Amino acid sequence: MKKRFARIMALSMAAVMTASLAACGGGGGDSSGDGDGGSGSDSDGKKEITYWNIGVESPDKDVITKAVEKFNSETESGYTVTSVPTQNDTYKEKLVVAMSSGECPDMYSCWSGGPMYEYIDSGFGQPIDDLFNASDIKDKLMGSAVGQASYNGHIYAVPYQNVSMSGIFYNKEMFEKFKLKEPETLADLEAICDTLKKNDITPFALANSSKWTGSMYYMNLAARYGGLEPFQKAVAGEGKFTDECFIKAGEKIQEWVEAGYFPDGVNSLSEDDGQAKQLMYQETAGMLLCGSWYTGTFATDSAEFYEKIGWFPFPAIEECDVDPSIMIGTVGDQFIVFNCEGEKLKAAFECAEAHLSDEVIDFEVENGKIPPIVGIEDKLTDSVTKEVVEAANNASEIQLWYDQYLPPAVATAHLDGLQEVFGLTKTPQEAQEAMQKAMDDYLANKAE
Amino acid sequence: MDQYKKNKQKSIICWVIAFALAIFYMLVSFMPFIFMVLNSFKEKFEMLTKGVFNLPDSLNFSNYTEVLTGGFGKYFMNSVIVLTISLILLLFISACASYPLARFKFKLAGPIYAGIVACMSIPVHITLIPVFKMSRATGLYDSIWALIGPYIAFAVPISVFILTSFMKGIPREIEESAEIDGCGKIQMFFSIILPLAKPGLATLAIYNGVNMWNEFSFAYTLTQSSENRTLPLAIWEFQGQYSMNTPMIMAVLTLTLLPMIVMFIIFQDKLVKGMTAGAVKG
Amino acid sequence: MNGTEISLEKLRQRDTRRVAALFLAPVAILMAVYIIYPIVDTFITSTYQWNGISAAKKFIGVNNWKTLIADSSFWIAFRNNFVIMVLSICIQIPIGLALATFLDFGGKRLTVFKVIWFIPLLMSSVAIGFLFTYALATNGGLVSTISGWFGGGNVDLLGNPKTALLTVIAVICWQFTPFYMVYFMAAFTNIPYDVFEAARIDGATRGQYFWKIAFPLLVPSMKSAAILSMVGSLKYFDLIYVMTGGGPGTSTELMATYMYKQSFSTFNMGYGSAVAGGMFILISMVSLITMKILNGKEEA
Repeated sequence: MKKRFARIMALSMAAVMTASLAACGGGGGDSSGDGDGGSGSDSDGKKEITYWNIGVESPDKDVITKAVEKFNSETESGYTVTSVPTQNDTYKEKLVVAMSSGECPDMYSCWSGGPMYEYIDSGFGQPIDDLFNASDIKDKLMGSAVGQASYNGHIYAVPYQNVSMSGIFYNKEMFEKFKLKEPETLADLEAICDTLKKNDITPFALANSSKWTGSMYYMNLAARYGGLEPFQKAVAGEGKFTDECFIKAGEKIQEWVEAGYFPDGVNSLSEDDGQAKQLMYQETAGMLLCGSWYTGTFATDSAEFYEKIGWFPFPAIEECDVDPSIMIGTVGDQFIVFNCEGEKLKAAFECAEAHLSDEVIDFEVENGKIPPIVGIEDKLTDSVTKEVVEAANNASEIQLWYDQYLPPAVATAHLDGLQEVFGLTKTPQEAQEAMQKAMDDYLANKAE
Repeated sequence: MDQYKKNKQKSIICWVIAFALAIFYMLVSFMPFIFMVLNSFKEKFEMLTKGVFNLPDSLNFSNYTEVLTGGFGKYFMNSVIVLTISLILLLFISACASYPLARFKFKLAGPIYAGIVACMSIPVHITLIPVFKMSRATGLYDSIWALIGPYIAFAVPISVFILTSFMKGIPREIEESAEIDGCGKIQMFFSIILPLAKPGLATLAIYNGVNMWNEFSFAYTLTQSSENRTLPLAIWEFQGQYSMNTPMIMAVLTLTLLPMIVMFIIFQDKLVKGMTAGAVKG
Repeated sequence: MNGTEISLEKLRQRDTRRVAALFLAPVAILMAVYIIYPIVDTFITSTYQWNGISAAKKFIGVNNWKTLIADSSFWIAFRNNFVIMVLSICIQIPIGLALATFLDFGGKRLTVFKVIWFIPLLMSSVAIGFLFTYALATNGGLVSTISGWFGGGNVDLLGNPKTALLTVIAVICWQFTPFYMVYFMAAFTNIPYDVFEAARIDGATRGQYFWKIAFPLLVPSMKSAAILSMVGSLKYFDLIYVMTGGGPGTSTELMATYMYKQSFSTFNMGYGSAVAGGMFILISMVSLITMKILNGKEEA
């Protein structure tokens, strides 16, 4: 008995030693690219392209698989693309870890805005102007989508997934019951809220523990109060985030909180856990302001419920002389960025083009997505998504979500401050000052 | 006799109160688990409309069949392999290290022990980048073997800390008598200290086993292909960018938890008093 | 005669050292590779202004550290960690000990209790976060419902900056108490059975046995448990990240979540490393000093 025990122990001891030795050897620095199909930025002879994305769940997973398979079976470049999906919440961290070690994948899908600019500035994105101009996707893609894929006057990315505009979803049955119709102005909207409130229905389903959900209301209010100029100026360092339109937006939100337009405990409800849509499904809330990807969410949760849903863009504010066609949203949602050169880049770009091929687009449309393609409205059969595309097409300008567009540190300041505005623990002025301070810090750092 | 009766009565009252509290605490501990299981039987829309704390409409096993027909089996095997190897190595080397720290007198014992306590305070996320670099350099990246090193290493400080304090509690007389019999230090470790440390080792096996089983950060930074994922990543298939299929995730988590309950039932046996006495005789 | 004795003593000492070195070697190697190297790396990174991904780093000396010392967000996070630490020690250890004592008295018959009490520790943070978010929901959550029975109104626990931290701490305690239960059960096994038997023969009641005999023998384990709880609370991350993300505002921000955001979300790796370094120094200091105080001369 004892002998056997000792023998096992001796064996395990040997194993530990080998393991630690292996670990040590590794620490000593290994220069040869092992190219085991990893993130492989190595320029070895293997013709492999690694493609990171967030398609872990259907249908996103199937869209990417379809595009990659199409490329792999049809390409004449000799390259093969391997898709590496990672779940959204952990994806950014995984990218940072890889890039930090100089192991950035050859192509990767990400959101537009602050983080994407950071990747490009750090040398992990190649301009694709020449390839793009020679490609037929140049005419296929919506102009606003190309705009969101550009940075410093160059095109860096291929948008492919979804046109998502923020707008207000509402329960049509409920509107009929209370004889309400889609609002033209903010005053109309507030009248609707009051009616719903009187009938014991929460006007807006909002789960603001996730913070960016509340920002949707704020961005739209600010854009209707002052247009996009104050925002763009503040970002460029020529204006301030304490501009009147931002303060007014914050004050309106607090007014709405006090009037009970949002659910009780709004800052503790979790969007990820479905606590906003739950209120819609239980029909205890009448409206929900969010990105239009929600069409897909509603439709997959219950096709029957989706029948009840209507949509309208955020209404104009009467006394403000601002273009009410301005939309807040993303034209593409996911953008493929490239970190390779020459032949490899060509092949990777070809794979990105495959994401916009007719068969993949048809498949996306079938699954409730709106690919950022000119004339996509003709392919859509669903009335809500059609309205969304119309609004996007008619928009004089489309501003990307603040939290994606802004430098990440400023975005964090915005989200944290705004959540406290919702919680009535900070005044809009205080929140905006904190945001401006973050912006000042960022600009000062950048100037150095 | 009277005194005996009174004591008996008092003791009965004590037991009743204790049992009442015990049952209350059992409910508190058990409820979330029950709701996790109940929700795993629901449809997604049903859960959202009727609420998380309602009974499911029907006992529908389709979530489970869907989970089990996916990659679950592969992830499960990966987790089992990683857990078994990491845990055995961890327990062995921690026991080795704790032995001299607890039972020997040498100058460096204090500083080494303090160093190990300091190592407990390292925030794990900061090690992700260095460990990623190492596993790339050793070619272990994107294989389950890459996980074993960090899993052991980050469990070692707490394990050595617990085991050292546990071994210090073992009465010194046992060792002294063995020393007189001419037992060497190494032999002493294997034949006396290690068997006596079994309850401590069982505690560590349980605690570290759970942590490794649920470990997430290293699992997704050090692997990338789906055949090398471990169980905590199995929920990804039901977690989209904007919404997640919670009942499905609950089914995955329930299936993930069951093996741990079994493991606990096996190891907790080592935590029952009486073992010590038995070990000394044997 | 005298000479041989000295050399024997020396020989034994050398033997001790040799065995100690052999036994400590594997742990030393692992620590060096996986813990000491990253820590050194962190301190080096903390002297740069670096976004974490770019090849270009700018050396800025101790500037990040100066910022850290003046950074009120970091100190608020530290204070939050400190609250978690104090409450964890005060709640988890006594309950854990009580549960273990109950199980120790009851023996094998109580295995059902043991297994069920242990379940919280087994559940993944994802499930705990989800279920408690719903249970604590202001409208229709369990707490609000119970408050309704007694004529109270809806209670917003997680959305209120004053109660959010305490609420999460309650959930953390719920999750980790079983660990201390198991820990003390192991400690009970270290008390030889004959000590218990002798006490019984002397006519001691169970209460007397616990307070007079078992409790003093368990004190060293309680000290270690306190250190464990301390370190664990000061570097806590999981449930806060899942349940509140540090909000509302910064009311539940912890050092670890702050460090994570700086390093991985806002591209401030240099500063994030300074936060991590600061955390490391603070936690080691707090735990080592406590250990010194608790163990008194014994350790020195």
